[in-house]
Amino acid sequence: MPDNGLLVQMILGALLGLSVYLPMAAGQLSLATPAFYAVGGTLAALMATHADHQGTISLGAVLWEMVVAGALTAALATLVGLPVLRLRGIYLAIATIALVEIVRVAILNLPFTGGATGIFGIPQPFHHPLGYITLSGGLLALCGWAFQRLETSRLGRAMAAIRDDELATRCMGINTTRVKLSAFVASAVLAGVTGVIAAHYLNTWNARQGSFDVAITTLAFVILGGSRSWLGPVIGGLLLTALPELLRPVGDLRLVLFGLVILLGPVFFPQGLITPALLEKLGRWKLRRLKP
Amino acid sequence: MLRSGGLNTGSSDLLSARRRGSVRLAGAVAVAITGLAVLGRNSDPAGKPLPAAVTLGAAIALTGNANLYGQDQRVGLELAQRWFASTPHPRPVRLELEDGASDEPSAIAAFNLLIGRGVIALIGPTLSQQAFAADPIAQRQGVPVVAPSNTAQGIPQIGSFISRVSAQSSVIAPLSLDEALERDPQISRVAVFFAQDDAYSTAETAIFQKALAERGLTPVSVQRTQLADNDFQNPITAALQQKPQLVVISAQAVDGGNLIRQLRELGYRGQIVVGNGLNTPNIYPICQRWCDGVLIAQAYSPDLNTPINQTFRRLFQDANGNRTPGQITAQAWTAYQVLFEALQRLQKRGEMDGVTLGEARRRLMQEVLAGHYDTPLGPIHFRADGEVVQGRFYVAEVTMEANGRHGSFRLVRSFDVDSDAGGPTP
Amino acid sequence: MSAALLQILLNGAASGGVYALVALGYTLIFSVLGVINFAQGALFSLGGYLTFLLMGGRIGVNGALPGWHLPVALPFWMALLLAAIGAGVVALLVERVAFAPLRRRGADPLLSLITSLGAGVVLVNLLQILMGAEGYAFPAGAAALEGLPEALLIGGARIRTVQVVLLLISAGAVAALTVWLERSRTGQAMRAVAEDPTAARLMGIHSGAIVRLAFLLSGMLAGLGGGLIGLSVSLAGPYFGISFGLKGLAVLVLGGLGSVPGAIAGGLLMGLAEALIPSAASGWRDALAFAVLFAVLVLRPSGLLGRRLQEKV
Repeated sequence: MPDNGLLVQMILGALLGLSVYLPMAAGQLSLATPAFYAVGGTLAALMATHADHQGTISLGAVLWEMVVAGALTAALATLVGLPVLRLRGIYLAIATIALVEIVRVAILNLPFTGGATGIFGIPQPFHHPLGYITLSGGLLALCGWAFQRLETSRLGRAMAAIRDDELATRCMGINTTRVKLSAFVASAVLAGVTGVIAAHYLNTWNARQGSFDVAITTLAFVILGGSRSWLGPVIGGLLLTALPELLRPVGDLRLVLFGLVILLGPVFFPQGLITPALLEKLGRWKLRRLKP
Repeated sequence: MLRSGGLNTGSSDLLSARRRGSVRLAGAVAVAITGLAVLGRNSDPAGKPLPAAVTLGAAIALTGNANLYGQDQRVGLELAQRWFASTPHPRPVRLELEDGASDEPSAIAAFNLLIGRGVIALIGPTLSQQAFAADPIAQRQGVPVVAPSNTAQGIPQIGSFISRVSAQSSVIAPLSLDEALERDPQISRVAVFFAQDDAYSTAETAIFQKALAERGLTPVSVQRTQLADNDFQNPITAALQQKPQLVVISAQAVDGGNLIRQLRELGYRGQIVVGNGLNTPNIYPICQRWCDGVLIAQAYSPDLNTPINQTFRRLFQDANGNRTPGQITAQAWTAYQVLFEALQRLQKRGEMDGVTLGEARRRLMQEVLAGHYDTPLGPIHFRADGEVVQGRFYVAEVTMEANGRHGSFRLVRSFDVDSDAGGPTP
Repeated sequence: MSAALLQILLNGAASGGVYALVALGYTLIFSVLGVINFAQGALFSLGGYLTFLLMGGRIGVNGALPGWHLPVALPFWMALLLAAIGAGVVALLVERVAFAPLRRRGADPLLSLITSLGAGVVLVNLLQILMGAEGYAFPAGAAALEGLPEALLIGGARIRTVQVVLLLISAGAVAALTVWLERSRTGQAMRAVAEDPTAARLMGIHSGAIVRLAFLLSGMLAGLGGGLIGLSVSLAGPYFGISFGLKGLAVLVLGGLGSVPGAIAGGLLMGLAEALIPSAASGWRDALAFAVLFAVLVLRPSGLLGRRLQEKV
């Protein structure tokens, strides 16, 4: 039985999974999510601790941090995305891992981010984890609505076309650079905004929060959940975040089992848990069949 | 993973079925999240009556990069639990160990889990960064925390329920410098090394450097290293070009041990003073015979000649062959001892009868802060804000056997100090 | 040449040699499969622990079998060789479990990023359960270099003897590998598969066997590296190989993915670049490696010595 705190972490995992999924929906394997997550978290930590809040902070102030974090990460992503998005496949993946490491070292070394200890005593907008569930769950619902609409929008169709065949899409007269950049920027904004919530939830923020490990874990959310539908990363993020906690009863073996799940998951479910075929089946399922 | 696999080939019927399926699944996820949120809402058992056997919860790093410390802490906690269970006591106490791993979300999860299971107090987490994440949660729910190994500035100030038995190095660090300067008063050139991504080492090096300045010494070289480093050829050769006569290191066991070994191998013959992060027998296999002669400031000395420390040392050796226990293990024992003794005092006064768990937690915290304890670390008590006041600190010299595999911290001198007031008095 | 400059060169070569060794392990697999094996760091750790056990080292108190040891006590060099073979065999196992099933089904090769990472997590945590988290020194580690001084003084610059030995062995292994790839029939077949798998198949080269060979060799390189690092800096817990893995990745790209001479040049260059950082800025050292990587990727995506960029999406 997951408690409310774990549920918050699960939802944050789902949001990060969606952030990795966005560029992938346009055929780009970008692992830059933790870099923007770290930028968002650091920004929130700085803004919230610099004003004198006496341990609590209004929800409005947190929402304002989310707006600023969104703007900052969007600007950064545009700056970085233009040169980086010319790379493909594994090259893009490695370039974005490099970005994650550069941001991590910068947060560790900059004079105002608290060094190794990080920033602590981040004030709380809520007295109970239920507040965080509402905030992050609300953001997740908003994302779900947007992603569902995206699939039928022009941008979404262009993304899918690039994923299928970038060259052909360019020949059709679609500005592929702009489409890829849009997906990259949206992914960065989502990661940055998630970082703001995470910083408040974690009470503290430091350079370790956005690391190579996070890049791989969030990629695993998408791969195991399924990369063909936005629900894949959501369900992958929810389940994989909970898994190490649910495996606690096995004691020392729990990380071995976690590793086995990541190892064998793609082998047995190469398309992830949520496949288009599964969604079609669900869509055709008539409720009245249940009646005797 | 990157190709969509024929999204565009599907007929419109397929596509609409897929979209309908997405909406249904999304709805199911939303219902599930809401359901879990509602079900998990009342996980805090603070309002329930205190059970007969109270439980202490420990969340320590048994996996991840900090697990070296966590394993040592587990040994200390389990020894303490067995020992105090065998002494006469009116209230039975159980110990529940959970893996707090080495990252912040896991520490929070372990704290939440243990609080939800109704523990009366918490021991942990292992790293200071984790404490800044998890301690506020215990504070909000009014659960006492005794930190066995958090040494960063500001931990007890997180709140009224947070305390620690791990003294900061502000008092001890200068003592080992004085010892080195007494051995060689001619020292004028000092090189400083510290692990810049470690919260403890960065705080400690500031203290070392301030103490050096107070003694009229300016470092000729300051080198920053990383915890994960193991090859120190670059910083060492850079520092040795300045011909230092004393090297001061703030690091943890593995990186610091390698640093010492490589300093010696590269020809440095002067004195080495290391900080409290290296105060563990775990350095022996890393720096081997090259550890010999290193001066170290200690918050715990296995040579302390008190009944409780001899008991602790004997139990440790019975369980672990002929090794001597380290500071991390002793501090974990002490955290358990503090909570255990405070609980039994309350029980004897009848203040644990007929109260709710929440009230028992509040009383326990007050009692922890009010008491004086005779521990393997020496006599300790607490300041009102939860900071430990430790009465005795030590300077030791590492002495290795000729084969370089076994060694010991030979006590050079101990200082009776009031770590609250400052000035040490040898 | 001034002593200070020579010192920087020596420092760069010492750490660069190790980087090249790690990167070469990645390179072999990348050249034939176009993917990265994230279990490489774990195989590095494994090589170190195997060497330790084969030398007769005892498991510490935190391990699953405290005090247990193999009934043998081999000299370092023999233990190192056997450990390298052992790590190679485990690499074959990783291929079997994490790579082969995906290839058989024609799944996206990038899925193996995740499966190989899973294999690495399993390996490291099994090591921790078996060996505990404590550090280990090789039981007779010093005897391996018996009679040699601890450090060599070369033109006023200093370097630890063990690092010179490490560099020489790495260089020897790399040279042997290069010659073998160039000259032997199997080596040529491996290069043919790397160039064009389809054409190689038409020429009757069994690519499955070549892939397994690449894994065996890269596992052996990792095992060798782990054992040597263990001699140089002790075994610092089961996670010690992982930190080499990430740096090796940067070197891999710097030299050009899949290029053997590139991996060596990239390793040495990275070592040199790090040695040139002034101590005041040493906190930024790890950022430098990745900033260089980032710049190389953006300006010259094929790496310094890599082949023309191929589309491997």
